[in-house]
Amino acid sequence: MPPISLAVDARRGRVAEWLYDSRFRSIVAQAVVVGIVAWGFWYLASNTQENMARRGLSTGFDFVFGTAGFDISWSLFQISTPASYIDVYKVGIVNTLAVSILSIAFATVLGFAVGMLRLSNNWLVSRLAGWYIEVLRNTPLLLQIFFWFIGVFTGLPPPRQSYQPVEGFVLNNRGFFMPAPVAGETLWITGVSFLAACVAAIVLHRWARARQATTGKRFPSILAGFGIVIGATGLAFVATGMPLSWDVPKLRGFNFTGGMTVPPAFCALLIALSVYTSCFIAEMVRAGIQSVSHGQTEASFALGLKPNWTTRLVIVPQAMRAIIPPLISSYLNVTKNSSLAVAIGYPDLVAVWMQTSLNQSGRAIEIVATTMLFYMTCSLSISMLLNVYNRRIQLRER
Amino acid sequence: MATEAPNPALVFQPKPSLPPPPFTVGPVAWVRANLFSGPVNTLLTLASIWGLYLTLAAFLEWAWFDAVFEANSRRECLDKSPTGACWAGVRANWGRLIYGPYPLAERWRIDFAFLALIAWMAPLWIRAVTGKIAIAATIVCAYPFFAAYMFLGGTREETMTVLFPAAVLAGIGVLAHSACCILAGRPLPDVLLRPFGEGLTDKGRSRALAAIAAVAYAVVLAAAWNFELAEVKTDRWGGLFLTLVISGIGITSALPSGILLALGRRSTMPLIRILCVCYIELIRSVPLITILFMAKTMFPLFMPQHIVVDELVRAIVAVCLFAAAYMAEIVRGGLQALPKGQYEAAAAVGLNYWQTTLFIVMPQALKAMIPNIVSNFIGLFKDTTLVAIIGLKDLMLQVDSAGKDRDWLGLFREPYFVATAIYFFFCYCMSKYSQSLERKLSAGNRR
Repeated sequence: MPPISLAVDARRGRVAEWLYDSRFRSIVAQAVVVGIVAWGFWYLASNTQENMARRGLSTGFDFVFGTAGFDISWSLFQISTPASYIDVYKVGIVNTLAVSILSIAFATVLGFAVGMLRLSNNWLVSRLAGWYIEVLRNTPLLLQIFFWFIGVFTGLPPPRQSYQPVEGFVLNNRGFFMPAPVAGETLWITGVSFLAACVAAIVLHRWARARQATTGKRFPSILAGFGIVIGATGLAFVATGMPLSWDVPKLRGFNFTGGMTVPPAFCALLIALSVYTSCFIAEMVRAGIQSVSHGQTEASFALGLKPNWTTRLVIVPQAMRAIIPPLISSYLNVTKNSSLAVAIGYPDLVAVWMQTSLNQSGRAIEIVATTMLFYMTCSLSISMLLNVYNRRIQLRER
Repeated sequence: MATEAPNPALVFQPKPSLPPPPFTVGPVAWVRANLFSGPVNTLLTLASIWGLYLTLAAFLEWAWFDAVFEANSRRECLDKSPTGACWAGVRANWGRLIYGPYPLAERWRIDFAFLALIAWMAPLWIRAVTGKIAIAATIVCAYPFFAAYMFLGGTREETMTVLFPAAVLAGIGVLAHSACCILAGRPLPDVLLRPFGEGLTDKGRSRALAAIAAVAYAVVLAAAWNFELAEVKTDRWGGLFLTLVISGIGITSALPSGILLALGRRSTMPLIRILCVCYIELIRSVPLITILFMAKTMFPLFMPQHIVVDELVRAIVAVCLFAAAYMAEIVRGGLQALPKGQYEAAAAVGLNYWQTTLFIVMPQALKAMIPNIVSNFIGLFKDTTLVAIIGLKDLMLQVDSAGKDRDWLGLFREPYFVATAIYFFFCYCMSKYSQSLERKLSAGNRR
């Protein structure tokens, strides 16, 4: 009968309308996905709860104040013995940051140098730099770390036959020894005057830039700034009677004592990370400089700028725009890669916290979460830095 | 009107050109321009030649002139030549480096499965073979079951009983199809249906093909019924073999999961976008080793008591989760680089979301990202060495164990050198292949 079929049609039409409505479909899709994810979380969480209850494991962060029943082989600062778990966490973070920051500095210098050599118009030098990059980036970092650790640093001679190129700097199979600065009582005056001089130099530089922008008169502010900083700091240091002495390592018995010591694992990790990262940085430098179109050079020559100035004022600023974002994310990679320390026994965060502490205390969830928290903090702060930089250098197009 | 011969005296006759000044052409000029163009360059060249000479001389002396190629123990090596390389040790430990502790009598299975993979993949590079997408699909969907049984062995459970013969049949089908294409110039279905003559309708054709496939499957199933290999548990997998298994699975799974995550991150649905962003950023901000440790220590907590997950499977899951997040960011880069006009044009033609994604967006985005995708694969291949830290016996750990063998105690350098060479070989080949692929695919953009 016609009325019934009409009603069916209308219902079908309404259903079809629902089915083809993109808003409705997107809500359904999201609900399904969120439901699946929530179910997955619930499943894992309930299993975890059940397993922990059965094994008699407890949760909570109260354990961090308990005594960690193990020693940390090396740390930058003195910790009380017996160490608590929270001390272990701090030492791990500081050790990770120490090796990462030093590696970043070395890798940047080495990477820029190799990148420049790669661009050299000397065929042999450019080829050699190319092979350096090719070999290093096509072999695993872990292998390179083992190479430096086993092949170089633990194979060094024992303390009695150690290398000592300069008095006080000693390299042997126990590590690298160097003089440690011992601050006198009035050293803080030098520190304060250094900071004040830095502020003064920055103010001077700003003033010089503003003046050049309005009047066109130039002022050698960078040179003057360095002069102020070195002069003021040196003057304060000498005026207060040089309150700084050096604790030089000496051979006593079977090993060197005094001064600062870094273990062979630290040296191996530092060199491996710097060398490995330098080949990526070198490629970034090469790509960045080649990304500046040749027209820029020609335009700059047409304006009458000398080659030296062309490089400094035209090519490098534009190349930096392409170099710095990947450079900063490679710094993050160095921090993450430093976790391979665990393979050679350097006490970084993963080694002392995620391995030893986890095995000792059995608090898997808390320890994994705090480890991830540290790395995520690093990563988020670095990406924030990157965003700020990107916003500053963005081309302002009209 | 006949043209008159021009008067030779009036026609301009150029003199033969002088030879170029010396040192401006030929090898001498090249050397001058590229190696000795100024005092700094000359100094750099001489310093590099000197450095190169020192390194090469020391290396050759160690690796060739002073090296020992025949010996039965490290002691013997050291007695023959204390300063040279002991390649005899590498030769004795070669099987360990490649197969790890896999039983000696069963190693042919690994060789066979890898040769089968090469034969299965080779048609993709042969121009005459048609249906390459279907072949690639069988590699991704069928080959893993074949390889899994070849490597693991043991009695087959229900699913494997069904799937292993299916995978074997798919492999035979691909080989037969390629042979038909190359020899007869026509695809396998045409050759199979030839006896039925030309009179078949489309429906009849597909029915006949299905019948042939069913018969073939029954034959393979019957033939494979009593075929059984000795069981090799995953804790005896190792060496380069294990490295290739982990990185192969990681690489294969990274692309599809990365594409899905990247699409999710660019989706207009807020909840899906937030989930994808959280996943990608969380995984990308922590080192792989922490994820591997997590897989090792937390996985047993996450799973119900009766499910015991193999250690290798845990590591593979961790590697896949890790690789997906990185691949997602690369694919997103490709998606963002695509001009908006492409989306608008697709919408104007009337394509829906999945059609636009599949036929318009992805081919262009992936093509633009080939160098990054391959360098990500290289990174993943190198990163699989980290499974050695959680105790899987991959190539890295086998190198270490070679130096702990009783006869070869302390032999580290040579196995390390060989492992480095193996890693370098794989990574270098991948990067060169990606460069050639990039050149080939960008041929359309060249003028």
